[in-house]
Amino acid sequence: MFEEADNLADIFRGGLPYYLLIVLPILILCSSNPVLASSEFAVQRMSQFDVHGKQFGCRSSGINLEGKSLYSWSTSRHCVVTRLQDLTVNQFHEIRLKAGGLVILLPNDISQFGEDVKQQIYQLEHLMLTQATSIPVYFSRHDKNFEQVIADLQRSATAEDYQSASHKQRESALSEIMNSISANGYQIVITGGSHTTPNKQSKIPIIQGELAPMMNIKTVGDVDVNSKLPLVVITANLKTFGLYNDYLNNPDTAVLLTLAELFSKLYSTSNAAPKYRLLFLISESGSLLNFQAMKKWVEENYQTPNIDFVLCLDAINQALSEDQTKIFMHVSKPPKEGTPMNVFYKNLKSIATKYDNVSVEGVHKKISTSEEMAWEHERFTYKRLPAFTLSSVKSHKDPMRTTIFQEDNESNIRNTQRKAKIIAESLARSIYNVDDGEIFTGAMDVSSQMIKSWMHVKSILHNNDLKNAFEKYLKNVKVTYEKTEPRDPDFLFYDSFDGVLNVYSVKPAVFDLFLTILITAYLFSVYFVILYFPHLYTVVCRMSKESMKTKVN
Amino acid sequence: MTLYHFGNCVALVYVPYYLTYKYSGLSEYGAFWKCIQAGGIYIFTQLCKMLVLATFFDTENVAAAGEFNIISEFLRSTVDVADLLGLIFILSRIPGKGHSKLITAGLGWAAAEVILSRGIMLWVGARGAEFSWVYIQKCLESNISLVQHITTATLLWLFTRHDLNKKFKPFVTLLLIATIFKSVWVDGILNILAIGPWATLGFKALVASIFGFLALHIYAGLAQVIGI
Repeated sequence: MFEEADNLADIFRGGLPYYLLIVLPILILCSSNPVLASSEFAVQRMSQFDVHGKQFGCRSSGINLEGKSLYSWSTSRHCVVTRLQDLTVNQFHEIRLKAGGLVILLPNDISQFGEDVKQQIYQLEHLMLTQATSIPVYFSRHDKNFEQVIADLQRSATAEDYQSASHKQRESALSEIMNSISANGYQIVITGGSHTTPNKQSKIPIIQGELAPMMNIKTVGDVDVNSKLPLVVITANLKTFGLYNDYLNNPDTAVLLTLAELFSKLYSTSNAAPKYRLLFLISESGSLLNFQAMKKWVEENYQTPNIDFVLCLDAINQALSEDQTKIFMHVSKPPKEGTPMNVFYKNLKSIATKYDNVSVEGVHKKISTSEEMAWEHERFTYKRLPAFTLSSVKSHKDPMRTTIFQEDNESNIRNTQRKAKIIAESLARSIYNVDDGEIFTGAMDVSSQMIKSWMHVKSILHNNDLKNAFEKYLKNVKVTYEKTEPRDPDFLFYDSFDGVLNVYSVKPAVFDLFLTILITAYLFSVYFVILYFPHLYTVVCRMSKESMKTKVN
Repeated sequence: MTLYHFGNCVALVYVPYYLTYKYSGLSEYGAFWKCIQAGGIYIFTQLCKMLVLATFFDTENVAAAGEFNIISEFLRSTVDVADLLGLIFILSRIPGKGHSKLITAGLGWAAAEVILSRGIMLWVGARGAEFSWVYIQKCLESNISLVQHITTATLLWLFTRHDLNKKFKPFVTLLLIATIFKSVWVDGILNILAIGPWATLGFKALVASIFGFLALHIYAGLAQVIGI
């Protein structure tokens, strides 16, 4: 076939076009959408969960849209790309309703911002956590290249503003065309289905362990000696997620484990052991999931006799709250004179003043009749158990309770340590029934090392650190799981989604047309060069002839 | 949009080749099959070169991407002598009058190179969602290499002629050596100058056209003497 062809056109006279008709579509199908992204970023989807059939968090996952800055987006075909600190609550409201997606670059360190920016971030975070968002929302850790993309988008946004301003002044149409041609665009692509699947096997672990003075003597006769002793329950929540999945600071858990360590030392010396039992309880993902895990525990155990009071720890040390010298004691009804709870309150108040003049304030909030619990102690109060929560925030609506933006620094550790000390002393005073003196001194003192080592404890579902700690200090350690019911689930988690964000720099379609015109012009010039090459050749011939002549001469 | 961009790039690469073929008189001689043969010889030469490179050059000498190492570049260029041997082979195989013979050899050689080295890159790259100027630049570069290859073919032909003026002999040899080690000295200069990709392209075009003009000048002189 080729040998007979004298010309390129001859080939096309044969059967070749028909073969091409078959081969070309196959080639196009085989290599569909080659992915060669200029930049890839690891992103995390905003967390998504259901509580009592109510939806929270972000409800969809895939993005394939044109990236726009905070100020230039207009339709649902745009994906807004912005830094967290630039986004305001009102802007988020609008984006949530009208944009097609949102990608947020997290700051490197939140402590670099002023108070007002921080406040704005917390409010935004609170807003995101308390409602469902239908558009996909992603978070990216701080990244220089990503910062560059955002800067680029903002620059083109200002150029467009300039353009619209010049439009009013009726500037030349040419400059407008040039602007639209030279515009740089970014295509934001995150692969993922439009629907997210709920995890039907969702479960929340609860771990418990106790301290009792006479552990070795199990029973005297038929009666369990220990069960007659009064019981104090200490609970805390392990925060396992917030705005997105991450390993978070858990001062509450740190304080609880420190208490467990301190009191286990006390109980191990047989003559110093108080006539009290202590029960330590940690459940995971607290206030965001309406204390579901604790609900189950309370329902199973509320008939336990002799419970003096239940001490719940919640946001005991939110690192960024302005006032670190306050502890709030939240109750559902004010404790009566003479009850153990009242005794503890008085002890706490008197001891707190000794340590950097920390003040204790009682906050009374009536139990809500709805399913939603403001504080963990309400779960206990519901079943008529005396309970209260110690916290550093005054209102249950404080965004600091669920924030994931925390500073992990020395002063944070020191504050947590101080509060652990205060609580430990007051608790010891209550159960020994003494009025004076410091109990945890010397080798028994609360050290910053203790707090530090427990600050970043991970979920039981992830590793065994928490369980090992409980088994080290406490007896009768038990891990139970609150599982979601397949029908009418109380809570549901969704498969968390660590995605890869691809940013492609793209050009508008006009640019391609423009390029075609340029290429055509270029090809025409090549055509003329080739066409007039004989003329050039004669010129060169004449030149070389002359040079020959001069040489001959 | 992206397929359209691919079309743009393909037009930019291959249309000049087609125009050269069509309007330089090759189509009238029916030189299409000869061009294909030239391309076949190109492929064979490249395979031999790869074999030699893989056998005699250790990978450590190959500089990392973006780095310019003059010694390793020089050593690798010595293998490019094989290119010249291949071209000489083509020239000896192709019968025909001077002009068309040279253009056939150069065009066939360059076309084979462009199809093999650029085709897949464009197909995979220029169709992607990402826009990059690189593809347009590569396309223009292959236009330059067309001029370059025809020039090389001409120089080789001059080199093999015994009736070439004695004065021109060393000059032609010098130009040929410069062609072989072109990647060394051109890249070296560009590396020193550290200019942008567009200026690099311009520089390469300038070098190619100077070489082309010199070769044309000598060729024209000889062609008039022997009367073709």
